[in-house]
Amino acid sequence: MNIVAVTACPAGLAHTYMAAEAIKRAAQRMGHTIKVETQGSMGLRGELTPAEIAAADIVMFCVDMAVAKVERFNGRKIFRCTVAAAVRDATGCVNGAVAAAQQG
Amino acid sequence: MKERVSVRQSLMTGVSYMIPFVVVGGIFIALALAFSPIGPKGPEVDNAFLQKVLKTGELAFGLMVPILAGYIAYSIADRPGIAPGAIGGAISVAMGAGFLGGIVAGFLAGYIVALLKKIDVPDALLPVMPIFVIPIIGTGAVALIMWIIGVPIADLMKWMTDGLNSMGDASKVLLGLVLGLMIAFDMGGPVNKVAYAFASAMIMAGNAKIMGAVGAAICTPPLGMALATFLAPKKYSADERQAGLSAGLMGLIGITEGAIPFAAIDPLRVIPSIMAGSAVAGVIGMLAGTADHAPHGGLIVLPVVDNRIMYVASVLAGITVTALLVNFLKKPVAQEESDSTSKAA
Repeated sequence: MNIVAVTACPAGLAHTYMAAEAIKRAAQRMGHTIKVETQGSMGLRGELTPAEIAAADIVMFCVDMAVAKVERFNGRKIFRCTVAAAVRDATGCVNGAVAAAQQG
Repeated sequence: MKERVSVRQSLMTGVSYMIPFVVVGGIFIALALAFSPIGPKGPEVDNAFLQKVLKTGELAFGLMVPILAGYIAYSIADRPGIAPGAIGGAISVAMGAGFLGGIVAGFLAGYIVALLKKIDVPDALLPVMPIFVIPIIGTGAVALIMWIIGVPIADLMKWMTDGLNSMGDASKVLLGLVLGLMIAFDMGGPVNKVAYAFASAMIMAGNAKIMGAVGAAICTPPLGMALATFLAPKKYSADERQAGLSAGLMGLIGITEGAIPFAAIDPLRVIPSIMAGSAVAGVIGMLAGTADHAPHGGLIVLPVVDNRIMYVASVLAGITVTALLVNFLKKPVAQEESDSTSKAA
């Protein structure tokens, strides 16, 4: 499965990047392709392009706040979880996203 | 359709954009005061350069609430919400309704603008909407409401600030305890952020003592776990001992999240231990009257702390409690693995 994800936490210092790492590792371990955009206190890193978003099977928002430039994701199916959930149980979050994608 | 954002996420969005303003404001003000001679009524900033530093800090603080309100509105209504929200926040400051009023203004602006955006207009009029109609009607509505309800909110803020400034020892202990528990509970998550936002807002309202206790509570979980791995290495895996080193670093610069890896692996022992440690740090900070003028924790803020000795003491007490408690509760790693069936990480 082709996954794109956004992580965003209010302080934007540690949680955001920890969640991104955890999700990336979990998804790759399960054989998916994944690209993660982090929205931290320094701004967006690894910004997802419209092409990448369109090509994804599912979009994951692992966020505790509003996603910046959220119009890029209009019309896409989005699986949401908290940043804490992504850090604690990245595998579970990815599984949830995959299940959401398969529900169509 | 725009994704629906929860109330908590809207608040967090506002706080997230507000943090740099509070950091700059708090530190500039504290530095100007720290380098100034003490007069009969406290520090007297008589140096021209330091006066500019002080003024810059105060201006930064002045932007804090409008930014909070503006970005709360942004999280609900996107860009058109920012101006009505920020202006509503500015009105709140002018009325003395502070950050509470700012939060109200932000949500008001967000929902009003979201409603305005739904109005159907003929294509020719579309450009007029975001430039004129929405800002003017949106701000007008928010302003009208804020000028009215700002009065009771300002009263509430004054009551709360007065109460905090004149707290007795018993209340200080309770507050330090509650804040410390909240800070450690989810190590940087929403509960932690509420306690942190409260302490930060109090700096702006003129009371930096709350942050003095919270700043110590913030670094206790990661520093406490770092100390724990140092004192009893056999009770931790190689990964955890490595995490202990980075947790120590993170604790020094006030990042509570350093304790997360430990809590994830062994929540039942780690979380109560760090909560206890942070509570101790919080209580000692409140009782000793330490103050922290920067909305941040750890030892990195020492330059802007009042009563540095007690601040450090509260941290030391907290990390000692955490380290001893968690090590007391933990069994050596080898015994753990033979006791229980292994769980996937």
